[in-house]
Amino acid sequence: MKWPRVILLIVVAALVAWAWVALHPGPERLIRRRLDKLAHVASFGPNQGYLSKLAGAQSLADFCATNIDVNVDVPGRQELRLAGREDVQQAALALRASVAGLAVTFPDVTIVVNADKESAVADLTVQARVAGEHDMIVQEVKLTMQKIEGQWLIVKAETVRTLR
Amino acid sequence: MIETKSEPGQQRRSANWLQIVTIGRNPKTTLIRAAVLAVLCVVVFRWMLLPVRIQGISMTPTYADHSFHFVNRLAYLWSQPKRGDVVGIRLTPPQGLPAPHIMYFKRIIGLPGESISFANGRVLVNGQTLDEPYEKGSCDWNTDAVTLGADEYFVVGDNRSMAKEEHVFGRAERSRIVGKALL
Repeated sequence: MKWPRVILLIVVAALVAWAWVALHPGPERLIRRRLDKLAHVASFGPNQGYLSKLAGAQSLADFCATNIDVNVDVPGRQELRLAGREDVQQAALALRASVAGLAVTFPDVTIVVNADKESAVADLTVQARVAGEHDMIVQEVKLTMQKIEGQWLIVKAETVRTLR
Repeated sequence: MIETKSEPGQQRRSANWLQIVTIGRNPKTTLIRAAVLAVLCVVVFRWMLLPVRIQGISMTPTYADHSFHFVNRLAYLWSQPKRGDVVGIRLTPPQGLPAPHIMYFKRIIGLPGESISFANGRVLVNGQTLDEPYEKGSCDWNTDAVTLGADEYFVVGDNRSMAKEEHVFGRAERSRIVGKALL
């Protein structure tokens, strides 16, 4: 077999492998995609109407399981506990009403998928910038996720104290 | 109207000069050099020297807000972090080699096994006052003594004139220390 054919064969094999991975993503890749979407949905710009705010809050709640448990414990702030998707939606709506804009990203994400492939834990750094504020918010967060009816949903979200 | 005609040799010279400036005398060699340089940059700035931009005032006056620095990831390959070192601390648990995008930038004041506390703004290590020449502002912090575990370091920023509640400090596991501040 000549070299050009060998190279062509390697390229075709690599393309097929890439296509297979792209079409059949593993749980970790699915969760990463889901988290990217979550960061996008959690962000919002200024001058949103009430209906847009409501739709945004609803979209955010769609990432959560119905029995989600949220615990936000940040030094210097009052502890916040939310139980259930409705609570999350209300809190998201209240946030959108009180803040002009928010840009959220998850720059560092570590995912551990459990052996059953139906549950996973995602440790991530939340980077958030409130419109008009100089300092950005940085917080380590742990998300427990579960595959429910084919979708990876958050069942538990809690802040983590990096320095204890 | 005055027309100027350039000589063919002159045109060739200017085209040659342009080629030398943009892609060099030998494009193939230039391409190889560029590829080597790109790989070198990725290796150095991803796995050896992490470029960081300071956000916040917790390390002032030593490190000013928005200033650029590097974190040396190789600093603790053959030695352990020492008291007084300024280190980068990752927020997410370490998994593999990838460099974190966001880190805390703090100074080590307590080593594994030691007891650390603040009394009227002074750091006490095992009950003894720690000399801190880098600490410039006035401080009135008071905390209970914390005994560090076998793989824990106590880190804090240099700007102690901040309110204690607004300052992130405390125990960091060794595995979260990414490297030592350079420059």
